[in-house]
Amino acid sequence: MDLGVKKDAQDLAALIARVAGRDRAAFAALYRLTQAKLYGVVVRIIQRRDLAGEILQEAYVRIWERAADFDPAKGSPIGWMATIARNRALDEARRVQPIALEDMPDGFDPPGEDVDPLSSRQRSESLQALMRCLETLEPEKRQILLLAYYRGASREALAKRFDRPVPTIKTWLRRSLADLRDCLSS
Amino acid sequence: MSLSPDDDLAAAEYALGALDPAERAALAARRQREPDLDAAIAAWERRLAPLAETIAPVAPPRDFLAEIESRLDDAASANAVVVDLTRRLRRWRAGAIAAGAVAAALAIGLGLRENMRASLPHEYVAVLQKSADQPAFVVTVNIETRSLTVRPVAAPPQPDKAYELWLIDAKLGAPRSLGLLKQNAATASDVASYDPAVVENATYAVTIEPPGGSPTGKPSGAPVFVGKLIPTGP
Repeated sequence: MDLGVKKDAQDLAALIARVAGRDRAAFAALYRLTQAKLYGVVVRIIQRRDLAGEILQEAYVRIWERAADFDPAKGSPIGWMATIARNRALDEARRVQPIALEDMPDGFDPPGEDVDPLSSRQRSESLQALMRCLETLEPEKRQILLLAYYRGASREALAKRFDRPVPTIKTWLRRSLADLRDCLSS
Repeated sequence: MSLSPDDDLAAAEYALGALDPAERAALAARRQREPDLDAAIAAWERRLAPLAETIAPVAPPRDFLAEIESRLDDAASANAVVVDLTRRLRRWRAGAIAAGAVAAALAIGLGLRENMRASLPHEYVAVLQKSADQPAFVVTVNIETRSLTVRPVAAPPQPDKAYELWLIDAKLGAPRSLGLLKQNAATASDVASYDPAVVENATYAVTIEPPGGSPTGKPSGAPVFVGKLIPTGP
């Protein structure tokens, strides 16, 4: 089930505000509502299940510690929580598996490639804007960028997978990101 | 924003997660000192965050809530001291106070907390440092539960190396490894297999090792940070 709907976002934001007030019951409720989502974020980057569970736990400890920093005006609750989980997962991935793309499944399908127009009502406005901007990128460059996001793939891993020199990947990523920024602010 | 375009794009790649370990660690260290860079990374994280909505949920292999809550309980007792210490250490460094004063002030800081922590008689803290003005890790030990937590305070990033923690005590003979330390987060370890008197009186030392830890099971070189436990309770 997608948590991107506005009502859900308001509920989560209210829970996070209570968590900031050190409310353990609210924390338990927040965990129940978001654990599968955040585990989904982590396990795409950290394939080892034992490590992924550990990272998930650490992410929730951070969410507890930083709940007071969450600002609903600056983004969605799930985006904020996912960012915390992603950063933990990325730090760990760079620590334990410096170059790990051999086991990246080929069947990976970035959502950018198959956006369902009917489900767009289920997506937040900020996601819709981001998707529109992603669609302005060339398909291969978009896929590289999304692979970096979803799998935490490093430039080196991407270079290997797309059979391009590392500097090319770096240039493409940076160009794509700059294009996205410009598109989002226009 | 006074950030160079190149740094802004480095921030973008950091937020995206595409940097290699060395660059990621270097940027993580810089953002601690450079508010503009920190803000740029946060801005990029916000730009990309909506993508999280598109990630399909995956049910965790089991329910972690109880474990997380017990970590929060541990943190609640340990963090009060560590957060406080971290804050003090930052302030002292900023003020460039004479090195020896730091150790003295630490002891005073811990002493002040004793009254508040009467219910936690088994908590010990060690500050692992190179010299008195360069604290790198804070070790918290609960003798009763024999649990040990190590938090990085200002350990310089070691992108292609690992920090390994050792327990050193004459009774043990050779130094015993307590495992590798995370560079950006707390590391939990346990010392349950050791005599509490050893845990309490031992020297805690950190060496720099290859990424997987010392290949020989013994420290590869001299410790870069050392410290001993100080009781925080009565």
